[in-house]
Amino acid sequence: MKNTLSKIWKSYNIAVIVFIVAIVLGILSPRFLSLDNLLNVMTNASLVAIVGLGMTLAIASGNFDLSVGATAAFAGCISFSLVPTIGVPASMVAGLAAGAVIGFVNGLIITELRVPAFIATLAMLTIVRGLTLIYTDGKDLYLFGQTNYKVLSGEYLLGIPTPIWLAVGICLLLSFVIGQTRFGRHTLALGSNLPAAKRSGIPTSRVLWIIFSIVGATAALSGMIISSQVLTANGRLATGLELSAIAVVVLGGTPLSGGQASMLGTLLGALLISMINNGLNLLNVPIFYQELTVGVLMLVALAVNINKGFDVRSLIRRHA
Amino acid sequence: MSVLTKSKSTVSANLDWDVLWERYGIATVLLISWALAYLFVPKFSNPDNMLNVIRQSAFVGCAAVGMTMAIISGTFDLSIGSTLAFSAYLGLLVVRQTESVPLGLLTTLAAGMAVGTVNGFLVTRVKIPAFIATLGMLFIVRGLTFIISQGGEPVRFNGKAFTWWGNGSLFGIPTPFLVFILCALVGSFVLSRTAFGRYIFSIGTNPNAAVVAGVPVTNTTTWIFIVVGLFTGISAFLIGSRLYSAGPGLEPGFELNVISAVVLGGTRLAGGRGSMIGTVAACLLYATMGNVLNLLHADAFAQRVAVGLVLLLALSIEGIRQRLFERSSRRISTVKTM
Repeated sequence: MKNTLSKIWKSYNIAVIVFIVAIVLGILSPRFLSLDNLLNVMTNASLVAIVGLGMTLAIASGNFDLSVGATAAFAGCISFSLVPTIGVPASMVAGLAAGAVIGFVNGLIITELRVPAFIATLAMLTIVRGLTLIYTDGKDLYLFGQTNYKVLSGEYLLGIPTPIWLAVGICLLLSFVIGQTRFGRHTLALGSNLPAAKRSGIPTSRVLWIIFSIVGATAALSGMIISSQVLTANGRLATGLELSAIAVVVLGGTPLSGGQASMLGTLLGALLISMINNGLNLLNVPIFYQELTVGVLMLVALAVNINKGFDVRSLIRRHA
Repeated sequence: MSVLTKSKSTVSANLDWDVLWERYGIATVLLISWALAYLFVPKFSNPDNMLNVIRQSAFVGCAAVGMTMAIISGTFDLSIGSTLAFSAYLGLLVVRQTESVPLGLLTTLAAGMAVGTVNGFLVTRVKIPAFIATLGMLFIVRGLTFIISQGGEPVRFNGKAFTWWGNGSLFGIPTPFLVFILCALVGSFVLSRTAFGRYIFSIGTNPNAAVVAGVPVTNTTTWIFIVVGLFTGISAFLIGSRLYSAGPGLEPGFELNVISAVVLGGTRLAGGRGSMIGTVAACLLYATMGNVLNLLHADAFAQRVAVGLVLLLALSIEGIRQRLFERSSRRISTVKTM
């Protein structure tokens, strides 16, 4: 009984925290629990969640991708600039493809040039950001009158905005991929022991290329959603997204050491941060307290959650 | 270092090149690029311009000295961009109120070391991985700076005695560069001649072995973060003085610039290996590149691409050499057990 309880707490603690925070915020500010506001919170959560889900895959494989913010901007700009020539649907596909290509290049640099993922994607951050700024000449790209691009952010399906559908859909898809497919097992094997994975015949390089292509595509999707919200894209879009995405993954309980992944946790982590930011707004707390909260949350979550030397139950256990 | 050399003694011929490349590779690249720029880039050879290059290298450089120690010990600090803004802001506040430069300097350094102490505490006592602990502190310290400034107005001060540190010269050499070289010399001395330096290398090479060998790992790691904070504070003071001002939004992304300079200088992210001279050369190389691209009228965006490409290039040389080496060693001994 005690074991099952601790097991439940271990796998769902972020869900419990989300629930508690929702209730507290609901009491403090009644407007928080209105349907409109909740949808708003979830939409904002989806923007980071989508790229966070891709990042979860990378972290599960024992890697990082610091280039996702730059990739998001790159894909948004490519996609926007192509709308006049090839139309909205094709330009969205082009944006996704652009993101996947950047991710693939990341993978190639890591496996073929043997640059550590941290540095490879750090260098790509600067390069891709620079390329995007060159491509746009540092200016904003607008989509005048192309309101059907808004399908990514402004449309409702069964009363729920598209970004939420996308985030939930990608979460389910990637959970399935990680849990039920050979590629998923390979990903986790890479993360838990790379030399062993190599020796047991897993095509580690190919797996890594696919992982990073997926991360690039999710980053691209996030970038396109963000730009579609205001129908504007530019080279400075999504600055710092990489660190927010990693923060969300870590909050969700995926360990940085690799070998494990919790897609649902990432989704809830993004929801938690979005809820708190929204709650602070409703309570008229100045905006710069939000960054502080994100940081404190991360540290507390880590101190309580991942740290092996510290057991949260020791706080509630009686000394015999 | 010597431990490493011995354990791979069978390939000593190869390893000598490794060590040479690691220590002097970037310095050589720097000298070659200076020579090329001197010959082919108009106005580069102008003394004022060259002094400007070395001045520019110092602002990232001082923080990179501390970061080199952290990375050699196998850890790193993502919070230094926020620490920079925090300590520069507090320092300028004090300078403006008291008009006393030493007091401002002390405040800046103390603020940097305070953040470093918290980082060290989180990593060693609460046992949060350094990546996450300092990432969390990145958000916290930046938020804190915005809260202190109540909305983000920068503090300004242009007293001569203060702005001299970032803009002035001593014996014709830019002050920030002198400070940078002094920092690097101290850092180099600490790394090679003190027990603390040996602890740093041994923790970076193998933390478990270091514990067994009686290295005070917890204390050393805490102090490493404090030292990183100290050197970041020095950078903060120079930048604040250079700009006559400091705001809470100062230099976002500074941490990544510093880390890439250190890594470009040949210090391994995996820990255990690295040198101060490489870091100094890498900072100078970045400053030279920015300057040359400016003189050639390349736009600021192309500069970013160039900086990233250089970093990739430098790091892949090591990877490619490793692959070639593996291929040749496989030929020599086909039955090699790992």
